[in-house]
Amino acid sequence: MKPIVVSAALAGLTLGAAQAQTMPAEITEPVTITWYNYNLASAGNGADATRHLIDLFEAAHPNIHVEGVPVPPQNITTRVQADLVAGQQVDLVQVTFNALGFAAEALGAHALEDIVPAAELAANFEGMVQNGLDLGRIDGRTYALAYTFSTPVLYYNADIFRQVGLDPENPPQTWAQIAEAGRVIRDHSDHIPLASGMFGPSAGDWLMQGVLRSNNGGVINADRTAMTFADPASLEAVQMLRDLAQEGILVNLDVTSQLESMAAGNAAMYLQTSAVQGYLIRGAEGNYDLRATTMPGFGDLRPRPNNSGSGLAIFSQDPARQRAAWELMKFVTSNEGYTIITRDIGYLPLRMAVVESPEYLAGWVSEHPLLQPNLQQLSYLEPWTPMPGPNYVQIATTMMDAIEMAVFGDNDDVAGILTAAQTQTQGLLP
Amino acid sequence: MTDTALQAPARPVAFRLRFGTGWQRPLGHGLMILLSLLSVFPIYWMILTSLRPENEILSTRIWPDAATLDNYAYALSAIPMLRMLVNTFVVSAVVTAIQILTGILAGYGFSRWRFRGASLLMGAVALTWLVPLQVVMIPNYLLVARLGMIDTLGALILPHTASAFAILLLVQAMRSFPSEVYEAARMDGANHAHILWHIVVPNLRGTIASLAILVFISTWNEYFWPLLLTRSAQNSVVQIGLQMFITAEGTQWGPLMAASTLASLPILAIYLVLQRQVIASFMKSGLR
Repeated sequence: MKPIVVSAALAGLTLGAAQAQTMPAEITEPVTITWYNYNLASAGNGADATRHLIDLFEAAHPNIHVEGVPVPPQNITTRVQADLVAGQQVDLVQVTFNALGFAAEALGAHALEDIVPAAELAANFEGMVQNGLDLGRIDGRTYALAYTFSTPVLYYNADIFRQVGLDPENPPQTWAQIAEAGRVIRDHSDHIPLASGMFGPSAGDWLMQGVLRSNNGGVINADRTAMTFADPASLEAVQMLRDLAQEGILVNLDVTSQLESMAAGNAAMYLQTSAVQGYLIRGAEGNYDLRATTMPGFGDLRPRPNNSGSGLAIFSQDPARQRAAWELMKFVTSNEGYTIITRDIGYLPLRMAVVESPEYLAGWVSEHPLLQPNLQQLSYLEPWTPMPGPNYVQIATTMMDAIEMAVFGDNDDVAGILTAAQTQTQGLLP
Repeated sequence: MTDTALQAPARPVAFRLRFGTGWQRPLGHGLMILLSLLSVFPIYWMILTSLRPENEILSTRIWPDAATLDNYAYALSAIPMLRMLVNTFVVSAVVTAIQILTGILAGYGFSRWRFRGASLLMGAVALTWLVPLQVVMIPNYLLVARLGMIDTLGALILPHTASAFAILLLVQAMRSFPSEVYEAARMDGANHAHILWHIVVPNLRGTIASLAILVFISTWNEYFWPLLLTRSAQNSVVQIGLQMFITAEGTQWGPLMAASTLASLPILAIYLVLQRQVIASFMKSGLR
C-alpha cells in the first residue's frame, strides 16, 4: 500500500488524536483492548510469558479484557497499517524500534505526554533507567516504552579459546584485540574466528549502528535529516570490518547460519543481541563452555552499544481504551512485569530494581553470569535510531546492502560504495 | 489425446531400460537411484531432525545417537497443531471443491457458448492470473473486514472461490472435447445442465482430478493471506503454525521439523494414493 494513501487514510485518525478527550482516571465499565504482539506469534517462552502477563493483568483489572493479536515482528507495521485503514481496533502495539519513527509520524502512535496526565507519567517513569526511556523517544517525546529489548554482546567459546592458547578469562574488549585473537584462532584451529548478526536480510541495521557509533561515527545525524554512514569515522569502522573479512576472521555467512555456527560450537566469537542467549545456552549445554562479554570498542573509545527489540506504543483513539492500554503498558513495564519478561523471555528490564532487589531477580541474576555484560551496558546504552519517513525500510536496506558489499565484496573502494549509497539513501529521506 | 501424449515418452525409456545393452542398464538404474536419494534426503533430514534431542539438534551426523519424540510432544502442545491441521484441511478441501465447481461452470460457458464480449471476458480472466497475490491482498483484506469476517475460516476461502488457472485449464479441456458428442446430446434433447453434468464432467475426470490435486496442494501451502487475516492460532492454518517456531531469538528446529513432518503427512498421503494423477497433473499444467 502506498504510504501516501495510508497517510491520507490516517489523517483523520491523527486529527482525531489531537482533539481527543483526556483519558478517564480509571476504568469503570468493561472495555476490551487489542494488543498487537509478536511474542504471541511465536511458540514457546515468549508466547507463554505474554499470556501469563495478560492473565495477571486481567485478574488485577477485571474491567479490562485484553485481546492478543499475534503478528510476526517483520509484519507488525504493515498489519497495523492495514487494520487502521480497515477500521479495526488497534490499541497497544509492540513496535520494533526501527519502525518507531513510522509508527509515530505516519501511523498515529500517541506520545505518552499527549495522553497521560503529566504527574502520573512522571510517577511511572520513576525507577526506570534513563537510557532505556530514551529508546522510545523521538524529538524528546515518548512514543514507546521499551518492552522487550536487549544489547549487543560478544559471546565466545571458552573451549576454543583454551584450545588455541587464548585466555578465556580475558576476552577481547576492542576490535584490535578481536583481530588479534581471530588470527590465532584462524591459524590454530578449523573454527570460525568471528561470526556476527550484523549482516543478512533479517539482521536489520541496529547492530551496525552500534558498531559505527562506537568509532564516533553513525548512520544518520542527530535530527535525522542527513545520512552519515559514509563519513570518515563510519568509513573507518567499515574498513576495519572489511580488513577482518579479508583476513579470514569475520565470516561471510547468512545471519541464521552464523547463529547456528555459534550454537553448535563451530564459531569462537559471536557478536549478536543478547536476545539469542537462550538459544545459545541450549546449544552449548553439555557441548562447550559458553561465555559472554561486552560489545567491543575502538581503541580507547568507550563502546556505544545500542538496543534491539521493541517498545509498546498506544494507538487507541477512545479515551477509555487509552486508559486501559496505558494500564496494561504500566503493568508489563512494572517491576512485576519486567521480572517475567527478563526471567521467562530473556530480555532486559527497564527498572534496575528488578535485578538488584532480592524481592525480584537479584538471586536469579547471580546464577546467570551471561546476563552481566548486558546489565553492565545498560548504563551507557544508546537508542536504535529509526530511519525517518515512509521509506524507512528502503533506506535501511539500501544502506545495509552497501555496507555488506563494502565489507565482503570484491571491490576495494569502500569509500566509493558507501558514498554512492549515502547519496542514494539521502534522496529517500522525507 | 493429452493422456496419449503424456504416455508417449514413457515407452522409449522403459524400452531402453528393459533392452539396454551392457553398461547402459546399471548406469540408468544407478542414476535413478542417486536422483531418488537426493530427492528423499531433505525429507529424511526433516524426520531425523524431528527425532533428535535438543542438545543434538545442530549435529550433522546422519543418524541420531538417541531418538526422542519430545519434539512432537512439544510441537503438539506449544501450538494447536491438530486444530490447525483440521483448519487447513477444511479450507483446502472447500477451496478445491468451489474452484472446481466455478471452473467447470465458467469453462463450459466459455467453451460452448458464443456471446458478445466472450473473448474480452476470457482475456480479463486470463489477466487476473498475472496479478500477484500481494497486489490484491490489502483490498481483499479491507473487503473481508467490512464483511466482518476477519479471523474466520470463511475469509480464508472467500477470495479463492474462483481462479483463472482452473477456468483456463477446464476451458482448454472442454474445447478439446469432441463436438460430435455435444451435438448428439442436443439431438437427443439434453439441455446444457444435463450435457455438462452427465456427459462432459464424467469424461473429464482425469483433468478435474489433476486440477483438484494442484488446487488442494496450493491452498495447503498458502501462507501470506492467512498471515494477514488470522488473529488467533485456533483459527489459523498449519503454515502459520510452522512459522511460529521461527523467531528472532533463534529457530526451534526440533519442534519445527516435527510440525513440518506432521504437516507433510496429508500431502504425502495424497502422493502415495494418487501418485499417477499427481505426476500427470504437474505434466498437464506445467509446474506452477
